[in-house]
Amino acid sequence: MSKKTIHIPLGSQHISLLEPVRFKFECENEKIVGVDSDVGFVHRGIERACTTKFKFDAIGYVVARVCGLCAITHSLSYTVAIEKLLGGEISKKAKYLRILLLELDRIHSHMLCLSHTCENAGFEAMFMRIMGDRELVMEIQELLTGNRIQFDYISIGGVNRDLDVQTAKKIIENLALVKAKVFSYIDEFTNNWSLSLKFKGIGALTLEDAYRFNAIGPLARACGLPIDVRNEIEYLPFDEVGFKMQTHNDGDINARNMVRLNEILNSLEMCENILRGLPEGEIFTKLKGKPKGEALMRFEAPRGELMYYVKGDGSAMLNRVRIKTPTFACIPAFSHIFMGEEYADAPAILASFDPCLSCTAK
Amino acid sequence: MKKIEVALKSVRDEIKSFYDYKKWHFLTLNGVALEDNRMQVQWIFSKYEALDEVVIYYAEIDYTERIPSLSDIIPSAIISQRELVDMFGVEVEGSEKGLYLDEDSMQTPLRSCLV
Amino acid sequence: MFRKYRKKSPWILHYNAGSCNGCDIEILAALAPKYDLERFGVINTGNPKQSDIFLVTGPVTFRSRERLVELYTQMPEPKVVIALGSCTCTGGVFRDMYNVEDGIDRYIPVDVYVPGCAASPELLIDGVVKALEILEEKTKAIEKPFRLFKEASSENGIINRRHSALKVGEKDEED
Repeated sequence: MSKKTIHIPLGSQHISLLEPVRFKFECENEKIVGVDSDVGFVHRGIERACTTKFKFDAIGYVVARVCGLCAITHSLSYTVAIEKLLGGEISKKAKYLRILLLELDRIHSHMLCLSHTCENAGFEAMFMRIMGDRELVMEIQELLTGNRIQFDYISIGGVNRDLDVQTAKKIIENLALVKAKVFSYIDEFTNNWSLSLKFKGIGALTLEDAYRFNAIGPLARACGLPIDVRNEIEYLPFDEVGFKMQTHNDGDINARNMVRLNEILNSLEMCENILRGLPEGEIFTKLKGKPKGEALMRFEAPRGELMYYVKGDGSAMLNRVRIKTPTFACIPAFSHIFMGEEYADAPAILASFDPCLSCTAK
Repeated sequence: MKKIEVALKSVRDEIKSFYDYKKWHFLTLNGVALEDNRMQVQWIFSKYEALDEVVIYYAEIDYTERIPSLSDIIPSAIISQRELVDMFGVEVEGSEKGLYLDEDSMQTPLRSCLV
Repeated sequence: MFRKYRKKSPWILHYNAGSCNGCDIEILAALAPKYDLERFGVINTGNPKQSDIFLVTGPVTFRSRERLVELYTQMPEPKVVIALGSCTCTGGVFRDMYNVEDGIDRYIPVDVYVPGCAASPELLIDGVVKALEILEEKTKAIEKPFRLFKEASSENGIINRRHSALKVGEKDEED
């Protein structure tokens, strides 16, 4: 056999990709020996627009458009950073409502990722099933916020809409339905033989490498690295609503799927706790002043840690808004995982990372 | 949030002695434009399983200065270094341009923030 | 025969030219069981050479310009372009950002504009239905025979076609 390598491109337009990203795989027969990625297709220049075009009170809605899937985490991190600079405390009810939407967003994002992984592994029926059930969550989100994807729910000082009794009842009903479905997925993902061929032992990352490449999110938790920002910040009362870290030890695609499924269960539990123990109070507190100084805020997006660095000088325009998105930080780890895998598995591995390129390129 | 100022020359040694990859998590490399053609480069770290513990190493430099690469100490720094090169037009060892920007798009977009 | 199936089962080519993912997820949601665009025979395909409807999301970023035009030119006639989402139509919130070309109609002709941020699946289905009408019209226009030349004029027994070529849009006299 000759040692000649072939270059196979994946993207920028590909049936298995939602977003434009180009990978150039260097293959030796079927094995991938080199990866080159181009992630800049979606670069729009939001960081600059935040400092030149929009005033600080509008940016919360602009940064939500960085990414449609974790929109809520983006606007939440930015808003909290600004609230830190302005000083002043928001009400407990608003905090709880923020967590509620954050967790709902995580549920639907994880479900999308799971279904997409199934589709890329060739299991179309499972894709349809999970996407169908995901509508239950989308329905609640629409009831709660008024929109399906871009919520614009969080404003500086609180949230924009209150939760009424009927909506809360509907949410609890739907979440119970989702819970039953998730148990059936866990059964399917652990016991289905053909899925296990595609998922078990494929695309593995060791714990050592996860530390070395600073992996975050479900990717890191699937190899046993206990990193979850919900555990590391005290701004939102995650421990009060019953947050539990979910980890797994295998590090392969199956482990990532299991971590996501367990996180969905945990999030469902948290949502229920919030709805049952929602404190009374106002949903909005007016905050005055202009942001001055610098603040750094981290939150756990569905894909991992999201960081906002905001610097203001006391005027309506900010000096700097730095967005560090989860997928961006994980790209070195991604490239490392692809090494030594079969080319045919590449789409499934890629989907199991749950990459969000519009986050990455901003 | 703890901020430590370092000189650009000694940043490699400082971070090498500080960074324990099992304890600290490298968040990102950040640049902030200052007045008079200067900028601040920040290396941001957070501690695993600790509550709100963030350490920022920062250095203030001219746009003409060359920033040392940390990719041998922290492999994941390579991507943020490439971003910094694109966004501020500074020189970082071993990082080429073109992660985001094309030839005909605006160059060094974040440099002129304060104008 | 092809005409019938083209109308019954249009295939979609989806390209993300820099959107925030919101609309792309809604496309998936529209194909999924609740809205079920697939019952109209719509299939999301990855191959430009087999598709009839070009579904674009996102304001065009600098790096995706060439791919967008390339995909458009690779699609066979007749084709319909749908611009999905506010930012695809006009640039939306991304208007005037430095790496963005406000809207796709600077590069390719658009037949259906679907507004909304993010465009909901109902709107998307409406857009596709509208696109089907346009597709049918375009099919008819393509299949109608047309002439390149008028009657050849003959002077002194020499047939001369120099002045008989039809200009674009000029009506065929026999029509």
